[in-house]
Amino acid sequence: MSVKYIPVQWNQNKWIYDAVMLIGVVAFLYIFLFVTPDILSHDYRINPQVHNARAFGACAFLMLTVILCIGPLARIDKRFLPLLYNRRHFGVMTTFVALSHASYIINWYFAFARSDKYEALLFANTSYTQIAGFPFEVFGVFALTTLLILAATSHDFWLKFLTPPVWKRLHSLIYVAYVAIVAHVSLGILQDQQNHVFSFIFMAGALLVAGLHAYAAWWQWRGGDSRGTVRDGWLTVGNIGEIEDGLAKIKVLPNGDRVAVFNQAGKLSAISNACAHQNGPLGEGRILDCLVTCPWHGFQYNVTDGRSPAPFTEMVPTFNLRLRGADIEVHTDPNPPGTYVEPVPLPQLQPVETLA
Amino acid sequence: MDQAEIILMIVRIWGVIGAVVALGFLTFGIDQVDEDAQDAYVFRPLIVPGILLIWPIVIWRWFVLATGRDHWPNRYHTRRRNHHWVGMLMPIAIIVILATGWSVRQTWPAHIAPVQLSAPQEPTQ
Repeated sequence: MSVKYIPVQWNQNKWIYDAVMLIGVVAFLYIFLFVTPDILSHDYRINPQVHNARAFGACAFLMLTVILCIGPLARIDKRFLPLLYNRRHFGVMTTFVALSHASYIINWYFAFARSDKYEALLFANTSYTQIAGFPFEVFGVFALTTLLILAATSHDFWLKFLTPPVWKRLHSLIYVAYVAIVAHVSLGILQDQQNHVFSFIFMAGALLVAGLHAYAAWWQWRGGDSRGTVRDGWLTVGNIGEIEDGLAKIKVLPNGDRVAVFNQAGKLSAISNACAHQNGPLGEGRILDCLVTCPWHGFQYNVTDGRSPAPFTEMVPTFNLRLRGADIEVHTDPNPPGTYVEPVPLPQLQPVETLA
Repeated sequence: MDQAEIILMIVRIWGVIGAVVALGFLTFGIDQVDEDAQDAYVFRPLIVPGILLIWPIVIWRWFVLATGRDHWPNRYHTRRRNHHWVGMLMPIAIIVILATGWSVRQTWPAHIAPVQLSAPQEPTQ
Protein backbone atom coordinates (compact mmCIF):
# COMPACT_ATOMS: atom_id res chain seq x y z
CA MET A 1 0.00 0.00 0.00
CA SER A 2 1.31 3.45 -0.76
CA VAL A 3 1.09 6.95 0.64
CA LYS A 4 3.82 8.52 -1.50
CA TYR A 5 5.59 6.69 -4.27
CA ILE A 6 8.98 5.25 -3.50
CA PRO A 7 11.22 3.54 -6.10
CA VAL A 8 10.58 -0.04 -5.01
CA GLN A 9 8.46 -1.21 -2.10
CA TRP A 10 10.03 -3.98 -0.09
CA ASN A 11 8.97 -5.71 3.08
CA GLN A 12 10.23 -8.89 4.69
CA ASN A 13 7.97 -11.13 2.61
CA LYS A 14 9.07 -9.49 -0.63
CA TRP A 15 12.75 -9.81 0.35
CA ILE A 16 12.22 -13.54 0.94
CA TYR A 17 10.24 -13.92 -2.32
CA ASP A 18 12.92 -12.10 -4.32
CA ALA A 19 15.76 -13.99 -2.63
CA VAL A 20 14.19 -17.38 -3.42
CA MET A 21 13.60 -16.25 -7.01
CA LEU A 22 17.20 -15.03 -7.42
CA ILE A 23 18.62 -18.23 -5.94
CA GLY A 24 16.41 -20.22 -8.34
CA VAL A 25 17.70 -18.28 -11.37
CA VAL A 26 21.35 -18.62 -10.34
CA ALA A 27 20.88 -22.34 -9.61
CA PHE A 28 19.22 -22.94 -12.99
CA LEU A 29 21.95 -21.12 -14.90
CA TYR A 30 24.69 -22.91 -12.94
CA ILE A 31 23.13 -26.33 -13.60
CA PHE A 32 22.55 -25.56 -17.28
CA LEU A 33 26.03 -24.21 -17.85
CA PHE A 34 28.25 -26.36 -15.66
CA VAL A 35 26.53 -29.43 -14.29
CA THR A 36 24.50 -31.02 -17.04
CA PRO A 37 25.82 -29.90 -20.42
CA ASP A 38 25.82 -33.55 -21.52
CA ILE A 39 22.27 -34.29 -20.37
CA LEU A 40 20.84 -31.22 -22.07
CA SER A 41 23.33 -32.02 -24.77
CA HIS A 42 23.93 -29.84 -27.71
CA ASP A 43 24.09 -31.93 -30.83
CA TYR A 44 26.99 -30.04 -32.26
CA ARG A 45 29.91 -28.56 -30.40
CA ILE A 46 28.98 -25.02 -29.40
CA ASN A 47 31.03 -22.16 -28.04
CA PRO A 48 30.51 -20.53 -24.62
CA GLN A 49 28.60 -17.55 -26.04
CA VAL A 50 25.96 -19.74 -27.66
CA HIS A 51 25.87 -21.91 -24.55
CA ASN A 52 25.20 -18.78 -22.46
CA ALA A 53 22.51 -17.64 -24.88
CA ARG A 54 20.74 -21.00 -24.61
CA ALA A 55 21.03 -21.02 -20.83
CA PHE A 56 19.44 -17.57 -20.47
CA GLY A 57 16.81 -18.36 -23.11
CA ALA A 58 15.81 -21.60 -21.39
CA CYS A 59 15.77 -19.82 -18.01
CA ALA A 60 13.50 -17.04 -19.34
CA PHE A 61 11.11 -19.62 -20.80
CA LEU A 62 10.98 -21.55 -17.53
CA MET A 63 10.43 -18.36 -15.49
CA LEU A 64 7.61 -17.25 -17.74
CA THR A 65 6.06 -20.72 -17.57
CA VAL A 66 6.09 -20.54 -13.75
CA ILE A 67 4.66 -17.00 -13.80
CA LEU A 68 1.79 -18.06 -16.05
CA CYS A 69 1.04 -21.09 -13.87
CA ILE A 70 0.67 -18.96 -10.72
CA GLY A 71 -2.50 -17.16 -11.86
CA PRO A 72 -4.67 -20.22 -12.65
CA LEU A 73 -3.31 -22.14 -9.65
CA ALA A 74 -4.28 -19.26 -7.34
CA ARG A 75 -7.78 -19.25 -8.84
CA ILE A 76 -8.19 -22.97 -8.31
CA ASP A 77 -6.53 -23.30 -4.89
CA LYS A 78 -6.06 -20.43 -2.42
CA ARG A 79 -2.88 -22.00 -1.04
CA PHE A 80 -1.08 -20.68 -4.12
CA LEU A 81 -2.09 -17.05 -3.41
CA PRO A 82 1.23 -16.19 -1.68
CA LEU A 83 2.99 -16.83 -5.00
CA LEU A 84 0.81 -14.14 -6.58
CA TYR A 85 1.94 -11.59 -4.00
CA ASN A 86 5.15 -10.43 -5.66
CA ARG A 87 4.70 -11.71 -9.20
CA ARG A 88 5.64 -8.35 -10.70
CA HIS A 89 9.22 -8.60 -9.40
CA PHE A 90 9.30 -12.08 -10.94
CA GLY A 91 8.24 -10.60 -14.28
CA VAL A 92 10.85 -7.83 -14.16
CA MET A 93 13.60 -10.34 -13.44
CA THR A 94 12.37 -12.51 -16.33
CA THR A 95 12.72 -9.49 -18.63
CA PHE A 96 16.36 -9.02 -17.61
CA VAL A 97 17.07 -12.73 -18.19
CA ALA A 98 15.40 -12.55 -21.64
CA LEU A 99 17.39 -9.40 -22.46
CA SER A 100 20.61 -11.25 -21.61
CA HIS A 101 19.56 -14.04 -24.00
CA ALA A 102 18.91 -11.54 -26.80
CA SER A 103 22.14 -9.72 -26.10
CA TYR A 104 24.25 -12.91 -26.35
CA ILE A 105 22.52 -13.85 -29.61
CA ILE A 106 22.88 -10.46 -31.30
CA ASN A 107 26.44 -9.87 -30.17
CA TRP A 108 27.53 -13.29 -31.41
CA TYR A 109 25.62 -14.04 -34.60
CA PHE A 110 25.59 -10.46 -35.90
CA ALA A 111 28.94 -9.27 -34.56
CA PHE A 112 30.49 -9.00 -38.03
CA ALA A 113 27.40 -7.94 -39.97
CA ARG A 114 28.22 -5.38 -42.66
CA SER A 115 25.24 -3.27 -41.65
CA ASP A 116 23.92 -2.31 -38.24
CA LYS A 117 23.47 -5.55 -36.26
CA TYR A 118 19.82 -4.80 -35.45
CA GLU A 119 19.15 -4.26 -39.17
CA ALA A 120 20.93 -7.54 -39.87
CA LEU A 121 18.67 -9.27 -37.36
CA LEU A 122 15.61 -8.00 -39.24
CA PHE A 123 16.73 -8.95 -42.75
CA ALA A 124 18.88 -12.04 -42.05
CA ASN A 125 15.93 -14.30 -42.79
CA THR A 126 12.87 -13.07 -44.66
CA SER A 127 11.25 -16.40 -45.58
CA TYR A 128 7.87 -15.38 -44.24
CA THR A 129 5.98 -17.47 -46.79
CA GLN A 130 7.12 -20.88 -45.53
CA ILE A 131 6.75 -22.67 -42.22
CA ALA A 132 9.98 -24.68 -42.30
CA GLY A 133 12.69 -22.07 -41.97
CA PHE A 134 10.24 -19.34 -40.93
CA PRO A 135 12.07 -16.37 -39.38
CA PHE A 136 11.46 -17.41 -35.78
CA GLU A 137 13.48 -14.41 -34.61
CA VAL A 138 10.45 -12.16 -35.19
CA PHE A 139 8.53 -14.02 -32.46
CA GLY A 140 11.41 -13.45 -30.07
CA VAL A 141 11.56 -9.75 -30.93
CA PHE A 142 7.81 -9.41 -30.31
CA ALA A 143 7.95 -11.29 -27.00
CA LEU A 144 10.94 -9.30 -25.77
CA THR A 145 9.29 -5.99 -26.70
CA THR A 146 6.17 -7.06 -24.80
CA LEU A 147 8.19 -8.08 -21.75
CA LEU A 148 9.94 -4.70 -21.84
CA ILE A 149 6.60 -2.85 -21.93
CA LEU A 150 5.22 -4.90 -19.04
CA ALA A 151 8.37 -4.51 -16.94
CA ALA A 152 8.55 -0.78 -17.65
CA THR A 153 4.93 -0.29 -16.57
CA SER A 154 5.05 -2.51 -13.49
CA HIS A 155 5.44 0.30 -10.92
CA ASP A 156 2.36 1.09 -8.81
CA PHE A 157 2.27 4.57 -10.36
CA TRP A 158 1.13 3.00 -13.65
CA LEU A 159 -1.74 1.16 -11.96
CA LYS A 160 -3.14 4.37 -10.58
CA PHE A 161 -2.38 6.46 -13.68
CA LEU A 162 -3.76 4.03 -16.28
CA THR A 163 -6.51 2.64 -13.95
CA PRO A 164 -6.47 -1.08 -13.01
CA PRO A 165 -8.71 -2.23 -15.92
CA VAL A 166 -6.50 -0.53 -18.57
CA TRP A 167 -3.34 -1.75 -16.83
CA LYS A 168 -4.73 -5.29 -16.72
CA ARG A 169 -5.58 -5.19 -20.43
CA LEU A 170 -2.09 -3.99 -21.26
CA HIS A 171 -0.56 -6.71 -19.10
CA SER A 172 -2.79 -9.36 -20.70
CA LEU A 173 -0.30 -9.09 -23.57
CA ILE A 174 1.77 -11.56 -21.57
CA TYR A 175 -0.43 -14.37 -22.90
CA VAL A 176 0.27 -13.34 -26.51
CA ALA A 177 3.96 -13.02 -25.67
CA TYR A 178 4.01 -16.54 -24.23
CA VAL A 179 2.42 -17.97 -27.37
CA ALA A 180 5.05 -16.05 -29.40
CA ILE A 181 7.81 -17.58 -27.28
CA VAL A 182 6.38 -21.06 -27.88
CA ALA A 183 6.50 -20.29 -31.63
CA HIS A 184 10.03 -18.83 -31.28
CA VAL A 185 11.28 -22.09 -29.73
CA SER A 186 9.16 -24.48 -31.84
CA LEU A 187 10.29 -22.99 -35.14
CA GLY A 188 13.78 -22.21 -33.85
CA ILE A 189 15.93 -24.41 -31.66
CA LEU A 190 13.41 -27.28 -31.61
CA GLN A 191 13.92 -27.78 -35.36
CA ASP A 192 17.53 -28.73 -34.74
CA GLN A 193 17.21 -30.60 -31.45
CA GLN A 194 18.14 -34.26 -31.65
CA ASN A 195 18.37 -34.87 -27.91
CA HIS A 196 14.78 -34.91 -26.72
CA VAL A 197 15.32 -34.08 -23.03
CA PHE A 198 15.13 -30.40 -23.83
CA SER A 199 12.23 -30.90 -26.29
CA PHE A 200 10.27 -32.83 -23.67
CA ILE A 201 10.83 -30.21 -20.92
CA PHE A 202 9.81 -27.43 -23.29
CA MET A 203 6.65 -29.13 -24.54
CA ALA A 204 5.63 -30.24 -21.04
CA GLY A 205 5.99 -26.65 -19.78
CA ALA A 206 3.96 -25.16 -22.63
CA LEU A 207 1.23 -27.80 -22.31
CA LEU A 208 1.10 -27.30 -18.53
CA VAL A 209 0.40 -23.59 -19.02
CA ALA A 210 -2.21 -24.36 -21.69
CA GLY A 211 -3.92 -27.01 -19.55
CA LEU A 212 -3.97 -24.96 -16.35
CA HIS A 213 -5.48 -21.92 -18.06
CA ALA A 214 -8.12 -24.03 -19.80
CA TYR A 215 -8.99 -25.76 -16.53
CA ALA A 216 -9.08 -22.48 -14.55
CA ALA A 217 -11.39 -20.89 -17.15
CA TRP A 218 -13.72 -23.89 -17.02
CA TRP A 219 -13.56 -23.97 -13.19
CA GLN A 220 -14.41 -20.26 -12.99
CA TRP A 221 -17.24 -20.63 -15.53
CA ARG A 222 -18.74 -23.58 -13.62
CA GLY A 223 -18.54 -22.04 -10.14
CA GLY A 224 -18.50 -18.33 -10.95
CA ASP A 225 -20.31 -15.61 -9.02
CA SER A 226 -24.03 -15.55 -9.70
CA ARG A 227 -26.30 -12.72 -10.80
CA GLY A 228 -29.15 -11.71 -8.53
CA THR A 229 -32.65 -10.60 -9.43
CA VAL A 230 -33.17 -6.85 -9.63
CA ARG A 231 -36.37 -5.05 -8.58
CA ASP A 232 -36.66 -1.24 -8.61
CA GLY A 233 -32.87 -0.80 -8.53
CA TRP A 234 -32.37 -3.26 -5.65
CA LEU A 235 -30.61 -6.58 -6.19
CA THR A 236 -31.33 -9.63 -4.05
CA VAL A 237 -28.11 -10.92 -2.49
CA GLY A 238 -29.46 -13.86 -0.50
CA ASN A 239 -30.91 -14.90 2.81
CA ILE A 240 -29.97 -13.30 6.14
CA GLY A 241 -28.43 -16.51 7.45
CA GLU A 242 -26.21 -17.12 4.43
CA ILE A 243 -23.18 -14.94 5.15
CA GLU A 244 -20.77 -16.18 7.81
CA ASP A 245 -19.27 -13.72 10.30
CA GLY A 246 -16.14 -12.07 8.86
CA LEU A 247 -16.85 -13.23 5.31
CA ALA A 248 -18.73 -11.94 2.28
CA LYS A 249 -21.09 -13.02 -0.45
CA ILE A 250 -20.31 -11.77 -3.95
CA LYS A 251 -23.01 -10.90 -6.48
CA VAL A 252 -22.79 -9.73 -10.08
CA LEU A 253 -24.57 -6.44 -10.77
CA PRO A 254 -26.55 -5.86 -13.98
CA ASN A 255 -23.61 -3.90 -15.49
CA GLY A 256 -21.25 -6.84 -14.90
CA ASP A 257 -19.44 -5.34 -11.89
CA ARG A 258 -19.36 -7.25 -8.60
CA VAL A 259 -20.46 -6.24 -5.14
CA ALA A 260 -19.22 -7.91 -1.93
CA VAL A 261 -21.66 -7.95 1.01
CA PHE A 262 -19.85 -8.53 4.32
CA ASN A 263 -21.10 -9.71 7.70
CA GLN A 264 -19.04 -7.95 10.34
CA ALA A 265 -20.10 -9.07 13.83
CA GLY A 266 -23.78 -9.30 12.91
CA LYS A 267 -23.84 -6.12 10.81
CA LEU A 268 -23.92 -6.01 7.02
CA SER A 269 -21.85 -3.70 4.82
CA ALA A 270 -21.34 -3.71 1.05
CA ILE A 271 -18.36 -2.52 -0.97
CA SER A 272 -17.13 -3.02 -4.52
CA ASN A 273 -15.56 -6.42 -4.99
CA ALA A 274 -12.75 -4.79 -7.00
CA CYS A 275 -9.71 -3.68 -5.00
CA ALA A 276 -8.47 -0.18 -5.93
CA HIS A 277 -4.96 -1.57 -6.47
CA GLN A 278 -5.28 -4.33 -9.10
CA ASN A 279 -9.04 -5.04 -8.91
CA GLY A 280 -8.38 -8.12 -6.78
CA PRO A 281 -11.49 -9.91 -5.37
CA LEU A 282 -12.10 -8.25 -1.99
CA GLY A 283 -15.10 -10.48 -1.33
CA GLU A 284 -12.77 -13.47 -1.14
CA GLY A 285 -10.90 -11.81 1.73
CA ARG A 286 -11.65 -12.08 5.44
CA ILE A 287 -12.36 -9.26 7.90
CA LEU A 288 -9.69 -8.89 10.58
CA ASP A 289 -9.73 -5.97 13.04
CA CYS A 290 -12.65 -4.34 11.17
CA LEU A 291 -10.67 -4.37 7.90
CA VAL A 292 -11.01 -6.67 4.93
CA THR A 293 -7.71 -7.73 3.37
CA CYS A 294 -7.42 -8.25 -0.39
CA PRO A 295 -6.24 -11.82 -1.00
CA TRP A 296 -4.01 -10.76 -3.90
CA HIS A 297 -1.65 -8.16 -2.44
CA GLY A 298 -2.83 -7.45 1.10
CA PHE A 299 -4.45 -4.03 0.59
CA GLN A 300 -6.94 -3.32 3.40
CA TYR A 301 -10.27 -1.48 3.56
CA ASN A 302 -12.84 -0.57 6.20
CA VAL A 303 -16.02 -2.18 4.90
CA THR A 304 -18.28 0.60 6.22
CA ASP A 305 -16.67 3.42 4.22
CA GLY A 306 -14.43 1.61 1.70
CA ARG A 307 -11.34 3.49 2.88
CA SER A 308 -7.88 2.15 3.62
CA PRO A 309 -6.68 2.93 7.15
CA ALA A 310 -4.67 6.17 7.52
CA PRO A 311 -2.14 7.15 6.31
CA PHE A 312 -3.04 5.11 3.20
CA THR A 313 -5.33 6.74 0.65
CA GLU A 314 -6.87 3.91 -1.41
CA MET A 315 -10.69 3.88 -1.59
CA VAL A 316 -13.40 1.69 -3.12
CA PRO A 317 -17.10 2.45 -3.75
CA THR A 318 -19.67 1.45 -1.14
CA PHE A 319 -23.28 0.31 -1.65
CA ASN A 320 -26.51 0.90 0.24
CA LEU A 321 -28.14 -2.17 1.80
CA ARG A 322 -31.54 -3.03 3.19
CA LEU A 323 -33.42 -6.05 4.48
CA ARG A 324 -36.67 -7.09 2.86
CA GLY A 325 -38.16 -9.82 4.99
CA ALA A 326 -35.47 -12.48 5.19
CA ASP A 327 -33.75 -11.22 2.03
CA ILE A 328 -30.67 -9.01 1.88
CA GLU A 329 -30.87 -6.43 -0.91
CA VAL A 330 -28.18 -4.12 -2.27
CA HIS A 331 -28.75 -1.01 -4.36
CA THR A 332 -27.25 -1.42 -7.83
CA ASP A 333 -25.82 2.13 -7.98
CA PRO A 334 -22.50 2.49 -6.15
CA ASN A 335 -21.74 5.40 -3.84
CA PRO A 336 -18.57 7.37 -4.67
CA PRO A 337 -15.44 5.71 -3.26
CA GLY A 338 -14.97 6.36 0.46
CA THR A 339 -18.64 7.14 1.24
CA TYR A 340 -19.67 5.97 4.71
CA VAL A 341 -22.80 3.79 4.84
CA GLU A 342 -24.39 2.85 8.16
CA PRO A 343 -24.10 -0.95 8.58
CA VAL A 344 -27.40 -2.86 8.59
CA PRO A 345 -27.81 -5.00 11.73
CA LEU A 346 -28.95 -8.58 11.14
CA PRO A 347 -31.96 -9.70 13.15
CA GLN A 348 -31.15 -12.29 15.85
CA LEU A 349 -31.81 -15.68 14.31
CA GLN A 350 -33.79 -18.14 16.36
CA PRO A 351 -32.07 -21.46 17.08
CA VAL A 352 -33.37 -24.23 14.82
CA GLU A 353 -34.92 -26.25 17.72
CA THR A 354 -37.09 -23.29 18.78
CA LEU A 355 -38.31 -22.73 15.25
CA ALA A 356 -39.33 -26.33 15.03
CA MET B 1 16.57 2.76 -47.63
CA ASP B 2 15.51 -0.86 -47.09
CA GLN B 3 12.64 -2.10 -44.92
CA ALA B 4 14.89 -2.95 -41.97
CA GLU B 5 16.29 0.60 -41.96
CA ILE B 6 12.76 2.06 -42.11
CA ILE B 7 11.67 -0.07 -39.13
CA LEU B 8 14.67 1.01 -37.08
CA MET B 9 14.12 4.66 -38.01
CA ILE B 10 10.49 4.42 -36.85
CA VAL B 11 11.75 2.93 -33.57
CA ARG B 12 14.21 5.81 -33.12
CA ILE B 13 11.55 8.46 -33.90
CA TRP B 14 9.18 6.72 -31.47
CA GLY B 15 11.86 6.91 -28.78
CA VAL B 16 12.65 10.60 -29.43
CA ILE B 17 8.97 11.57 -29.17
CA GLY B 18 8.74 9.44 -26.01
CA ALA B 19 11.70 11.31 -24.52
CA VAL B 20 10.03 14.68 -25.18
CA VAL B 21 6.76 13.43 -23.63
CA ALA B 22 8.71 12.05 -20.63
CA LEU B 23 10.42 15.39 -20.09
CA GLY B 24 7.15 17.31 -20.12
CA PHE B 25 5.17 14.79 -18.11
CA LEU B 26 7.72 14.22 -15.38
CA THR B 27 8.54 17.92 -14.90
CA PHE B 28 5.02 19.30 -14.56
CA GLY B 29 2.32 16.89 -15.84
CA ILE B 30 2.66 14.23 -13.18
CA ASP B 31 2.12 16.70 -10.31
CA GLN B 32 -1.00 17.89 -12.07
CA VAL B 33 -2.66 14.48 -12.38
CA ASP B 34 -1.45 12.48 -9.34
CA GLU B 35 -1.36 13.95 -5.85
CA ASP B 36 0.69 11.01 -4.56
CA ALA B 37 3.50 12.02 -6.94
CA GLN B 38 3.78 15.54 -5.51
CA ASP B 39 7.10 15.99 -3.67
CA ALA B 40 8.08 12.43 -4.65
CA TYR B 41 11.00 12.59 -7.08
CA VAL B 42 13.18 9.53 -6.55
CA PHE B 43 10.74 7.15 -8.28
CA ARG B 44 10.40 9.30 -11.41
CA PRO B 45 13.42 7.91 -13.33
CA LEU B 46 11.76 4.49 -13.07
CA ILE B 47 8.79 5.84 -15.00
CA VAL B 48 10.90 7.01 -17.99
CA PRO B 49 11.23 3.63 -19.82
CA GLY B 50 7.46 3.15 -19.63
CA ILE B 51 6.80 6.59 -21.13
CA LEU B 52 9.31 5.94 -23.94
CA LEU B 53 7.45 2.74 -24.83
CA ILE B 54 3.78 3.73 -24.44
CA TRP B 55 3.82 7.51 -24.82
CA PRO B 56 0.55 7.68 -26.86
CA ILE B 57 -1.31 6.07 -23.92
CA VAL B 58 0.45 8.46 -21.53
CA ILE B 59 -0.72 11.46 -23.55
CA TRP B 60 -4.28 10.08 -23.63
CA ARG B 61 -4.41 9.47 -19.84
CA TRP B 62 -2.72 12.81 -19.12
CA PHE B 63 -5.40 14.56 -21.19
CA VAL B 64 -8.26 12.60 -19.55
CA LEU B 65 -7.04 13.30 -16.02
CA ALA B 66 -6.01 16.92 -16.58
CA THR B 67 -9.35 17.83 -18.14
CA GLY B 68 -11.44 16.09 -15.47
CA ARG B 69 -12.86 13.52 -17.91
CA ASP B 70 -11.89 10.54 -15.75
CA HIS B 71 -15.02 8.59 -14.81
CA TRP B 72 -14.33 7.01 -11.40
CA PRO B 73 -16.60 3.90 -11.78
CA ASN B 74 -14.37 2.80 -14.69
CA ARG B 75 -11.60 2.06 -12.20
CA TYR B 76 -13.69 -0.74 -10.70
CA HIS B 77 -14.87 -2.43 -13.92
CA THR B 78 -13.05 -5.73 -13.57
CA ARG B 79 -12.23 -7.76 -16.66
CA ARG B 80 -12.26 -11.20 -15.08
CA ARG B 81 -14.49 -12.56 -17.84
CA ASN B 82 -11.68 -11.91 -20.35
CA HIS B 83 -9.86 -14.89 -18.91
CA HIS B 84 -12.44 -17.17 -20.52
CA TRP B 85 -11.04 -16.14 -23.90
CA VAL B 86 -7.48 -16.66 -22.71
CA GLY B 87 -8.47 -20.06 -21.31
CA MET B 88 -9.90 -21.08 -24.67
CA LEU B 89 -7.63 -19.46 -27.25
CA MET B 90 -4.19 -19.77 -25.65
CA PRO B 91 -4.27 -23.59 -25.28
CA ILE B 92 -5.48 -23.96 -28.89
CA ALA B 93 -2.71 -21.68 -30.16
CA ILE B 94 -0.04 -23.49 -28.14
CA ILE B 95 -1.12 -26.93 -29.33
CA VAL B 96 -1.33 -25.82 -32.97
CA ILE B 97 2.13 -24.23 -32.82
CA LEU B 98 3.72 -27.24 -31.11
CA ALA B 99 2.18 -29.62 -33.65
CA THR B 100 3.25 -27.41 -36.56
CA GLY B 101 6.78 -27.04 -35.26
CA TRP B 102 7.07 -30.77 -34.70
CA SER B 103 5.63 -31.68 -38.12
CA VAL B 104 8.08 -29.55 -40.14
CA ARG B 105 11.18 -30.90 -38.37
CA GLN B 106 13.66 -32.40 -40.80
CA THR B 107 15.51 -35.44 -39.58
CA TRP B 108 18.29 -37.13 -41.44
CA PRO B 109 18.54 -40.90 -41.63
CA ALA B 110 21.41 -41.98 -39.42
CA HIS B 111 22.61 -44.87 -41.60
CA ILE B 112 23.63 -42.88 -44.69
CA ALA B 113 27.38 -42.58 -45.09
CA PRO B 114 28.78 -39.08 -45.69
CA VAL B 115 29.41 -38.12 -49.32
CA GLN B 116 32.06 -35.63 -50.29
CA LEU B 117 30.46 -33.28 -52.81
CA SER B 118 33.57 -31.38 -53.87
CA ALA B 119 37.30 -31.75 -53.77
CA PRO B 120 39.14 -30.46 -50.69
CA GLN B 121 40.08 -26.78 -50.94
CA GLU B 122 43.17 -27.15 -48.77
CA PRO B 123 45.54 -30.07 -48.23
CA THR B 124 44.51 -30.29 -44.57
CA GLN B 125 40.84 -30.89 -45.38
